[in-house]
Amino acid sequence: MKELESIVVEGPMRQRLVVVGNGMVGARFVEELIARGAGDRYDIVMFGDEPHGNYNRIMLSGILAGSQSVEDTFINPLDWYARNDITLHAGVRVDSIDRDAKLVHGDGHVVEPYDVLVLATGSSPFVPPLKGLSSHGTEMKEGLFAFRTLDDCDRMISYASTARSAAVIGGGLLGLEAARGLLERGLDVHVVHLRSHLMEMQLDPPAGTMLKATLEEMGVTVHLDKMTSEVLGEHRVEGLGFADGSTLSCDMVVVSAGIRPNVSLAFDAGLMVERGIVVTDELRCPGDPSVFAIGECAQHRGQLYGLVAPLWEQAKALADRLSGRVPDAAYTGSRTSTKLKVMGVDLAVMGDQEPSGPDDEVVTYSEPTRGVYKKLIVRGGRLGGAILLGDAGAAPMLLQAFDRGSELPDNRAELLFQLSAAESATGVADLPSSAQICNCNGVSKGALVTAVEAGHCTLKSLCEATRAGLGCGACKSQVQQVLELAAGDQVREDPSVHFYVPGVPMSKAELVKTVRERGLRSVSAVFAQLSGGNEDPASKAGLASLLRTIWGADYDDERDARFINDRVHANVQKDGTFTVVPRIFGGVTTAAELRRIADVAEKYAVPMVKITGGQRIDLVGVRKDELPSMWKELGMPSGHAYTKSFRTCKTCIGSEYCRYGVGDSTTLGVQIERRYQGIETPAKLKLATAGCPRNCSEATTKDIGAVAIEGGKWEIYVGGAAGGHVRKGDILAVVDSHDAVLRYTGRFMQYYREHAKYLERTYDFVPRVGIEKLRSILVDDAEGICAALDEAIGAAVDAYVDPWQEAEEPVHPSQFADVLEPVGVVSGPAWERME
Amino acid sequence: MAAIASIATDTATHCPYCAFQCGLRVSGSDGVLAIAGDADFPVNRGALCIKGFTAADTLEHPERLRTPLVRSRAGELEPASWEEALDRIVAGIRAAQESHGADAVGVFGGGSLTNEKAYLLGKFARVALGTRHIDYNGRFCMSSAAGAAIRAFGVDRGLPFPVADIADADVILLVGSNPAETMPPLMQYFQAQRASGGSLIVADPRRTLTAKASTLHLRLTPGTDAALANGLLHLILEEGAVDADFLAERTEGFDELRGVIATYWPERTEKITGIPERELRRAALLLASARRPMVLTARGSEQQSQGVANTLAFINLALALGKQNQPFTGFGTITGQGNGQGGRELGQKADQLPGYRSITDPAARAHMASIWGIPAGAIPGPGVSAYELLDGMGEEGGVRAMLVIGSNPLVSAPRALHIEQRLRQLELLVVADFFLSETAALADVVLPAAQWSEEDGTMTNLEGRVIRRRRLADAPPDVRRDDEILHAIAERLGWGAQFSYASSSDVFDELRRATAGGVADYSGITYEKIDAQQGVFWPCPSDDHPGTPRIFAERFATANGRARFHPVQHQSPAEEVDVNYPLYLTTGRVLTQYQSGTQTRRVERLARVAPEPQAEIHPVAARHAGIADGALVRLVTRRGSATARARVTRDIREDTVFVPFHWGGAASINRLTNPALDPTSRMPEFKVCAVRLETRPELQGVISA
Repeated sequence: MKELESIVVEGPMRQRLVVVGNGMVGARFVEELIARGAGDRYDIVMFGDEPHGNYNRIMLSGILAGSQSVEDTFINPLDWYARNDITLHAGVRVDSIDRDAKLVHGDGHVVEPYDVLVLATGSSPFVPPLKGLSSHGTEMKEGLFAFRTLDDCDRMISYASTARSAAVIGGGLLGLEAARGLLERGLDVHVVHLRSHLMEMQLDPPAGTMLKATLEEMGVTVHLDKMTSEVLGEHRVEGLGFADGSTLSCDMVVVSAGIRPNVSLAFDAGLMVERGIVVTDELRCPGDPSVFAIGECAQHRGQLYGLVAPLWEQAKALADRLSGRVPDAAYTGSRTSTKLKVMGVDLAVMGDQEPSGPDDEVVTYSEPTRGVYKKLIVRGGRLGGAILLGDAGAAPMLLQAFDRGSELPDNRAELLFQLSAAESATGVADLPSSAQICNCNGVSKGALVTAVEAGHCTLKSLCEATRAGLGCGACKSQVQQVLELAAGDQVREDPSVHFYVPGVPMSKAELVKTVRERGLRSVSAVFAQLSGGNEDPASKAGLASLLRTIWGADYDDERDARFINDRVHANVQKDGTFTVVPRIFGGVTTAAELRRIADVAEKYAVPMVKITGGQRIDLVGVRKDELPSMWKELGMPSGHAYTKSFRTCKTCIGSEYCRYGVGDSTTLGVQIERRYQGIETPAKLKLATAGCPRNCSEATTKDIGAVAIEGGKWEIYVGGAAGGHVRKGDILAVVDSHDAVLRYTGRFMQYYREHAKYLERTYDFVPRVGIEKLRSILVDDAEGICAALDEAIGAAVDAYVDPWQEAEEPVHPSQFADVLEPVGVVSGPAWERME
Repeated sequence: MAAIASIATDTATHCPYCAFQCGLRVSGSDGVLAIAGDADFPVNRGALCIKGFTAADTLEHPERLRTPLVRSRAGELEPASWEEALDRIVAGIRAAQESHGADAVGVFGGGSLTNEKAYLLGKFARVALGTRHIDYNGRFCMSSAAGAAIRAFGVDRGLPFPVADIADADVILLVGSNPAETMPPLMQYFQAQRASGGSLIVADPRRTLTAKASTLHLRLTPGTDAALANGLLHLILEEGAVDADFLAERTEGFDELRGVIATYWPERTEKITGIPERELRRAALLLASARRPMVLTARGSEQQSQGVANTLAFINLALALGKQNQPFTGFGTITGQGNGQGGRELGQKADQLPGYRSITDPAARAHMASIWGIPAGAIPGPGVSAYELLDGMGEEGGVRAMLVIGSNPLVSAPRALHIEQRLRQLELLVVADFFLSETAALADVVLPAAQWSEEDGTMTNLEGRVIRRRRLADAPPDVRRDDEILHAIAERLGWGAQFSYASSSDVFDELRRATAGGVADYSGITYEKIDAQQGVFWPCPSDDHPGTPRIFAERFATANGRARFHPVQHQSPAEEVDVNYPLYLTTGRVLTQYQSGTQTRRVERLARVAPEPQAEIHPVAARHAGIADGALVRLVTRRGSATARARVTRDIREDTVFVPFHWGGAASINRLTNPALDPTSRMPEFKVCAVRLETRPELQGVISA
């Protein structure tokens, strides 16, 4: 003990720490040591048999199966050792330890002195003494493999590419993993097992039997109670011979008959060795205070461990001790439990497989059709062991309960199935009056019912009265349910759903009438007279749009009623930049125009030049202050890609060039766009013209579309949509000239301008009004308003001014100043991305 | 009644509570403030939770402190004049400093103070008191996130993007955060995200309201966050879904991470975290397929002794998913306290000077010395962190006198019984607050302070957006603002000139100069610019700079512009469950209470919703302890015991108990929590310790707080 302390107590001299073994435990120990700052305390030297850094052996079966890359299995690549000033002798096998001189001798005359020696030599595959293992002096016959290292894995993969069938000797975990890998590589796979059920180390007979059935379903042939006696084949593997005299022919054989701890080095050095290298709770070899052992080679309290979790606990405890962080750290043993996959089947095992006394309670659940088997050993109210095969939902909870030794629920069924399942949803009718509906504002069902009884029979007034739904808003549907429940047929539709904008309590018709009667020409005048001076920000843009429609050039424009898009006539993007889309009538352009666009794009280093879905060219990522000069240099009118207005009229190539075209859709599209460009509407309008029913320009799913049909006629569609919402337009009329198309288009637009709610797209407006009614009004002139509509839209066309003229004469000095607009919010409810 | 006649109709200001800082519209008539959400403010867009709606209820509250209190010879707190109170304070400061040196006086600040006050408080400690001992309750809030962000990104700004970006991220991993209760108006962005087809993954030991609104809930074991992050990254690597271009162009150190990630294979991750492998895989696949992935953390993963490592692990995950050259992606952390962001960058932290500058950096010291008009050598060195500062009170080498402003550490610090004992050891305890908080009740001098609507100033919200709080009314006659209090004490200590300002904008102007050139540069921000732009995102280094909504759009704030990966291993929490303490205790908040509850417990409309702490207990755990739903339960840890009312629910893990921490006395859950500190951030481990449940016949009726 004295001597030990002299080793670990800090002193001026750095000590030499030699670790034999660079596997998952040896390397982990060194990592833990460095993490505890012990790099300053020791010069660290490591020996590893394999010429690699340290890799994750657990992932080898994934590499064999082809689902893992070698790169992702490395835990400590070679440069890790260099970075941490560790001398690694990779591929150097240690021959002997001289404990008197405190020297480690390796292959090729490598000699390293040590003050502290840690043995982490791991284990090797056990190869039973079969006939015909070797041929012609090689250690293993060609086609015969053990499955332990990355190199084994490499060789198996390359040999398997030429083989058709394989036999795996050993139906334990590793053997089955090898079988899976080879199966994935397309081989016929046989598993030959000595015992009467698979994985007898982990499974009881019923579980083993169920696993066998599962594997056979996957195509593996399982041979039980079969003792292999011979590897057949002269030069290379050709089959196996068995003790019962039978044979099996195959192209390759993997031996996976268990592992043996590597103890010979320790034994030869005179250390105490039984099944493994004997260690104390300090993980020290008795009799030599300088030597420690951890990992699969170590035998602690009579126990050898093969799972990584307990071995890493050993590594941690030894690092605590040797770093001086916890000088008296001890390892007192582990409860072993693990979750793994066998051939892709979930398996969790822990503790005992069978009851150890009469007081042990055994709980089992078996469902052979699905390959599910669960068995628990309950001992003193705690978990003594468990097998979970085929359904691992409860595994995390059981593994934790086992590791912690937690008390188990009395209702054992709760152990077999996942706990904490979601409580089933309850309808509001079943909720008690005290149940909280709105969490944000702490509103109970009872409070809502009381408010309904007090007369709040619309959703809006109920929310306002109780404040339910005004926080995150998630409870609104439940509030609606409570309302329906409590008010029954007293539920009233909220009158505000008919308001044109939320801030002015009038329907559109009433509002238009009042605005006209009172001559309200500005947004602020409307607020002053119709909403008691309350300027509702959310209503401004809608009102501005309506007033422009009503008053045309006589509208009193107040810039603050506009969204940013409408203030600077460009579409704000999420990063605060804008897009510039010049008008290209009907998508028809010229070489000179294209050249000008290209010049501007280049000069302003526009990050993206994009052809839009509407046949336009979109210059994306423009700074606000660059807008006016770009417009000037383009010398083209605004393409209105940003506002609630007529946007574009998409065209196909039409009859002039197209072999199928029956109408000149190109010319018509240009005409429509020239006439109605920039006309403001309640929501955006996208148009198209198609030269034949093949409909290349998708005119039937536009707000307004004209499709040429035989006989020089045009079908006019309205109310189509092909965005988030898809709707085929309804036919308003079939006409026989371009002029008629232009006329009906304008008439429909004007009616829509006057009757649609703000932001109501035609695909909502048309079904709401009904196509029959629209036809009767707009085609049959049932209300006698067609002439007035035509006149009004004509006036709007005449009043139109290209807004990009403001480049010459900004409305105010800072109109285009590069002040940041908050991202994604200024545009409020009307926000739309450019399409 | 306050002079609310001075309120202009419909004034825009901000809620006094959390870091979301909802825009409020406040109007006054007949002596009553009416509060509504501000539809124009682009963060809350009109939404408001019940705390905001009732924010005015504290103003005319009968328990409001309206005069200074001084402890009498008989040991009672008695009303006193400001003169008496200030004399007592100054005498106490002098006595402590004369016998134990300048560092014998400490200052404990808060994350709810305005930027101006946070700045003044730091200046007051370093200039007027000359002490190195100043820290604040934000140490219990944002320090782990800050520590991680500075290591990985070179700068700590809670969200490096506007909060509205959340709505456009297609897959979000939200860790240890329950905004549906703690920040309800934030939920609109998650709802919009879900409505447009996005996926929300929530990692939380509890099935919170937020988890219920998610696509996938990962019910992790408390204290296993780093293992979760590493395990998800392992699966994402398996999918080959890391963004190699982004890694190559914008980051460094990924290769050093690979080896660590290799050891978090799914079965192992499942065993550590308790999350079934198929759920881990589902989460990983969602993230791997994301076009705009976002990872957000909060106190759940941060308030641990491994808080910095946990946060770094999630940053690693976010960086590996990459795609951060585009908007609507990336890593962020959701700040808690009202001015948690501004409070931590303007000089309240023990080791920092304004502008997020290190107090040990000679250039930073020289810069501040020139602004404060003192020699650089006169600026003290770094002090100790919040818990260590409290732990040292009245001890050898610790502070003897303490000034507490905007905080109630007796309720909010871990191991509360120990903190109480330390507070009682002080020679002088001064507390400035609106109400007689638990800490104030132990003080020698209590100063009545002005409230949110009685002062001007700025706050910095969770996005790093600097916004304006507006004075709507005068404080009651004998109540003073914190800056007036600091000025009065400083004047008596001979530093009056350094603390004399005509207005809060005067303080802000000095603050701007102080932060110029720092990481958190406010120098280009003015009150006018804030008004014009609905807030300004720092950094804003010049008058013509618009502010920076997305700080990492082009480069990270490290020396070489690259984000840095930091390999981290899962480490167990400082205290694991065992036979005597078989359950995990985790703490947090409820919707109707805020922090230590000094304000919200006194608002009747809030208190009646949550009058006492409820312990969420799984039916299995409840049955073992013999606890019925609704019964009082005693929770016991190695540090003390507390009482709460059992709420038996399957919404929590069977091995975990959750209790909110807003109450004092016997209901104080921080009597139980573990002050094990994160090695870097010095954050205590509020979120996980080992607890035992007990039921006793004498436990009935109400909890006496």
